[in-house]
Amino acid sequence: METSDMLKQLNTIFARVLDREEIDLKETTTAADVEDWDSLTHIQLVVETEKFFKVKFKAEEIQKFQNVGDMCRALREKLGGS
Amino acid sequence: MKIGDRFQSQFLVTPEIYEGFISLFNDRNPLHVDTAFARKAGFKDRVMHGNILGGFLSHFVGELLPLKEVALVSQNIRFRNPVYLNDRLELRMLVSAVSEATNILEFQFEFLKEDGVKSATGALQIRRLV
Repeated sequence: METSDMLKQLNTIFARVLDREEIDLKETTTAADVEDWDSLTHIQLVVETEKFFKVKFKAEEIQKFQNVGDMCRALREKLGGS
Repeated sequence: MKIGDRFQSQFLVTPEIYEGFISLFNDRNPLHVDTAFARKAGFKDRVMHGNILGGFLSHFVGELLPLKEVALVSQNIRFRNPVYLNDRLELRMLVSAVSEATNILEFQFEFLKEDGVKSATGALQIRRLV
């Protein structure tokens, strides 16, 4: 999956969890860039991302996420690099 | 617990629960306390407060799960049909998602009345604390 497509999907997920009409994620986006992206919403974001992409992360994997780009890379690995 | 696990429990909306809810939260809206008003509005009798079902969910999460070290993270509920005093409800819970990375378990639930009518449906998430 292309990064741009993945970001589009993550935009939808993040917008729903954060209760926004829309959101504009970039690979460099971090929690500090998005209002209300706190530790509790981070949990929700991971859960909804796992459900949508039908993948499972481990705790140590998500602890390494510094930005949305890291999440995309981890997703690509889980999805078989497609 | 794993996806597909099911749990169920029975709850009775007793006068104690109904009066206790009113006493604690002071919601004396006529729909809940005035039979004539409730009937005029199209209901059979005084309608029980929807958030009494929230109390039943709290009991389920806190007391009836195989895990005790849990915290309720989110809950949403749709009230589908009215609940009346002395109604007996069956709560059916289904584990619908498990996230090991976040220690979150998601449940879908429904409350059914004795005649099989759904009084409420929804979903909740709990987090394992240890």
